[in-house]
Amino acid sequence: MKSISLYVDKDTCLTRLHPFAKMFYILAAVSAPLIGGALWIYGLFLAISLCLLISGKIIRKVFPLIAFSFTIIITIFLIHGLFNQENQKVLFHLGPLAFYEEGLLYAARIGLNILNMLLAFATFVLTTKPADLVDDLEQAGFSPRFGYMISSVFQIIPQMMGTMNTIMDAQRSRGMETEGSLFVRAKAFIPLISPVVSSSLINTRERAIALEVRGFDSKNKKTFLREHKLAGKDKTFMLLMALLIAGSIVWRVLTWL
Amino acid sequence: MKNLFKTKLNAACFVLIPACIGINYLGKLFASVLKLPLWLDSIGTCIGGILGGPIIGGICGAANNLIYGFTTGDSITLVYALTSLGIGVAVGIMARLGRMEKLSGAILTACVAGLTAVVISTPLNLIFWGGTTGNIWGDAVFAWSQASGLPVALGSFLDEVLVDVPDKLITLLIVYAIIKGLPKKLTSLYELDDEVASLD
Amino acid sequence: MALIEVTNLKYRYPHTENLALDGIDFKVEKGQFIGIAGENKAGKSTLCQAFAGLVPTMFRGAYGGKLLIDGAEAAKTPIAELCQKVGLVFQNPFNQLSGAKDTVFEEIAFGLQNLGIPREEIFKRVEENLKLLDIEEYRDRNPFDLSGGQTQRVAIASILAMEPQVIVLDEPTSQLDPQGSEEVFRVVEKLAKTGITIIMVEQKMEKLASYCDKILLLHKGKQIAYDTPERIFSRDDLEELGVKPPVYTQVCRALEVSRIEGEDRLYPVTLAQMERLRDQFPPTLTGRTFVNGEQEIDGQEVFQIQDLKFHYLPDIPVIEHLDLCLDARPTAIIGQNGAGKTTLVKLLKGLLKPNAGNIFFEDEDISQKTVAQLAGKVGYVFQNPDDQIFKNRVMEEVMVGPLNLGKSREEAQKLAADALEMVGLTDAAEENPYDLDLSERKMVAIASVVAMDTKVLILDEPTIAQDANGRVVLGRIVQTLSKKGKFVLAILHDMDFVAEYFERVIIMAHGKVLSDGLGEKVFYEKESLLKARLEQPHTTRLCERLGYEGAFLTAEDMKV
Ligand SMILES: Nc1ncnc2c1ncn2[C@@H]1O[C@H](COP(=O)(O)OP(=O)(O)OP(=O)(O)O)[C@@H](O)[C@H]1O
Ligand SMILES: Nc1ncnc2c1ncn2[C@@H]1O[C@H](COP(=O)(O)OP(=O)(O)OP(=O)(O)O)[C@@H](O)[C@H]1O
Ligand SMILES: [Mg+2]
Ligand SMILES: [Mg+2]
Repeated sequence: MKSISLYVDKDTCLTRLHPFAKMFYILAAVSAPLIGGALWIYGLFLAISLCLLISGKIIRKVFPLIAFSFTIIITIFLIHGLFNQENQKVLFHLGPLAFYEEGLLYAARIGLNILNMLLAFATFVLTTKPADLVDDLEQAGFSPRFGYMISSVFQIIPQMMGTMNTIMDAQRSRGMETEGSLFVRAKAFIPLISPVVSSSLINTRERAIALEVRGFDSKNKKTFLREHKLAGKDKTFMLLMALLIAGSIVWRVLTWL
Repeated sequence: MKNLFKTKLNAACFVLIPACIGINYLGKLFASVLKLPLWLDSIGTCIGGILGGPIIGGICGAANNLIYGFTTGDSITLVYALTSLGIGVAVGIMARLGRMEKLSGAILTACVAGLTAVVISTPLNLIFWGGTTGNIWGDAVFAWSQASGLPVALGSFLDEVLVDVPDKLITLLIVYAIIKGLPKKLTSLYELDDEVASLD
Repeated sequence: MALIEVTNLKYRYPHTENLALDGIDFKVEKGQFIGIAGENKAGKSTLCQAFAGLVPTMFRGAYGGKLLIDGAEAAKTPIAELCQKVGLVFQNPFNQLSGAKDTVFEEIAFGLQNLGIPREEIFKRVEENLKLLDIEEYRDRNPFDLSGGQTQRVAIASILAMEPQVIVLDEPTSQLDPQGSEEVFRVVEKLAKTGITIIMVEQKMEKLASYCDKILLLHKGKQIAYDTPERIFSRDDLEELGVKPPVYTQVCRALEVSRIEGEDRLYPVTLAQMERLRDQFPPTLTGRTFVNGEQEIDGQEVFQIQDLKFHYLPDIPVIEHLDLCLDARPTAIIGQNGAGKTTLVKLLKGLLKPNAGNIFFEDEDISQKTVAQLAGKVGYVFQNPDDQIFKNRVMEEVMVGPLNLGKSREEAQKLAADALEMVGLTDAAEENPYDLDLSERKMVAIASVVAMDTKVLILDEPTIAQDANGRVVLGRIVQTLSKKGKFVLAILHDMDFVAEYFERVIIMAHGKVLSDGLGEKVFYEKESLLKARLEQPHTTRLCERLGYEGAFLTAEDMKV
């Protein structure tokens, strides 16, 4: 079964860092530039993210993610560069199109924001195993029901893909053509929606019963198979991030004065 | 009417939510494989709302975006958690009002869901990406509106309407067909009157 | 006071009219092993669910009477509390997985974690149960990538590990190989000896007869009797109740071997009891004439398999160097769980592509064709019926195949109606297939393939969840289709069924063919049977124990 998680199994400091510490990093990376308000803070965090990603040996996995968000960034540049209402000063011409400075600047800010969020999330997503994250959340007092919900999403999607393949097998066993040209395959997709969705829903009934008899609603305190506490290293890292946020607040106050 | 928001948080609901999230994912996959100009990523949220009520619908929607955002690094999805929540609640309420029994009701529900999505998404679009949505057709309209000097908010609003309303219409038609085909064994699990009759 | 007391229990599912349970009344002492028997839809699973509190807490509906377990009223105790006392193993093992765990180990630990058992204890219990059910080597596998029987073992282990006082098992061995099911019975019996109370639903009457202290006989939701196996299976009205007594009892009835106790005539129900009455049996029986040497039917080759190789995971081969020729005789493939039976038939159907080697169907290499092109010739019924249901009306479902093959609607309707009649589901044509019971869904799946009128019909464990009548219906389908010149290939774990309806028998183990030939020959090759974790048919074992010379496969062979 293929997992939908982007987790890469590597033994690096970043992977070993407690998930909460990494989440704290996301918080810092997203909030500090917004609070600080200056463009260079984006640059700072982009640099930190890149360093982290390189140290985690996962920089290569990030490129497809960036490529994915490129379309939206380009649209933003086009639309604002060309049509933003504030536009006054023409920066350059591209054929018949005139790009304006104000619009481009505005687009740059949004683009940096997107890129920054993306990289910050990547440090977390690529190095954290969802099952471990859920386990840690539950150990920190998160409701096991919600924990179940999250880990079950990670199981259910590959399962649905499995169901989809099985149903597709069943359909071609009964004479529906699903192999061949792209068109044939695309056409075979449509009759799949309803049975896959229905059967997943129907499975939920059985699943609910299965959970009930396995003590899912039990009031007892749940046992964890592995203990995972915040280590000194994790705490230092979090402290550092807190300092960065504080720094951005100070900067904002200073620039105001 | 006091039943409108009534919710049972039992195992059945906690199992329904991940299934709905999975269905959302599938819908999105279909749309991208078939290169449709639609999202189709709220089929599950709507089903969650219909079976479990507005609260479960809302949780489905919000959890959907949060989980994908946090695990696939897709921060764009994350921003729209609020929209998904709104759609789930809106569809849940409409279903509890008995609107999903007939096709006409389903269409009405689609409009309500679509407008809810528009109202919540537009400010988000403005705050985060200066008004675009990332959908080619919608953004073309936005570009046109900006070129012809309409206010940003209005352009973004039009952009959203163009994308969301047809999308929700198709979504709810699919949902309607699926719900009609569900076996009684399943739907009775989510019925509200939970009294056990006595045979003594 | 007895551990379990059921008084006048009644239950009706929501949106239905008939009572699923109607006046059930019995008591179970601590450490007893109780069997529940009855035809399909008798209410066995419903009763099991009542023990676990699912009926009525989860399903609601209408409930009456009382079910006391160790002083607690099942209907009024939260399921989470009740599940520490009562463990329930479901009828369909594919449904028992928690769906949140990536490995078999964590899956078994899931229930224990919820109950807050200390960590060391969890590790200890999980290890024990992995060993007990012989699934140690799969501990790190994803529970969803296992074969049917392996899944069933995981499901049983996950409940046993919770160590409840009462264990309720709903047809727990339906997908296990014969030795595997014997082991499950032995494990469960051992538990009963340590004071755990066992309640088990089973269609394998021979097993119920030899292990149970008492049997509860149900019919249409009503309790017919609650008595010792001997008394239950000596009843004269069993046939009307849709229950077939153990083979031993059938034989004894035919030969009039019995003993009198009080006013009742009792027939033996186990091998041991039969041996005690050895002197009443005739001194010799002829049996079947042994066919020496294989008479291959020439020119009727259907499948030709050459040097076939297949694996799912690169380092775990499932099928290696398989050469096999299949002709038109009805053929059964038997073998242990995980032997690669399902994999082999999926390869035949073209659903999986071989890693090496060739498969020829009527002298054409099937790798050149798509599955859909083969669909009109080769029909395949999946092991799990839920995998192949995708319409919400039975009639529509059965018509899918014929329509895809290009038949007109009228023709398709006709074919579908015939197929439904063949499996005895004409009345269910307008229902939602998912509202039907497992046994009926399995029949719908079979009908939907039979309706396509293919040259080859492959059945993957068709007898799952079927009662005596269902088996007869299936047997008749095999016979009718064979007579029409079709090739029926079935995977089975029920040796008696194989012996009765199939000519050729193939034993598979670890992706290889261990033995191949007529039933009369294969079922006397004890070494191969043992290696493939199989057993002889009950009649065969019986005749050996009684010392008869000759070949005996079914009760009919024992005519004097
Ligand atoms: N969830 C349900 N909703 C409505 N009716 C049901 C439900 N489950 C079972 N029934 C009905 O209750 C009756 C008893 O079913 P039950 O599953 O207990 O039979 P069973 O003896 O276990 O049969 P089988 O041998 O097929 O497993 C049947 O008529 C069945 O159709
Ligand atoms: N999707 C899969 N991925 C990986 N391994 C698999 C998969 N399906 C089956 N296997 C493995 O392949 C082997 C053969 O499986 P198969 O389903 O063919 O067994 P089987 O003979 O039908 O057993 P059973 O009687 O239990 O149904 C088993 O060891 C099983 O664990
Ligand atoms: Mg049953
Ligand atoms: Mg199998």
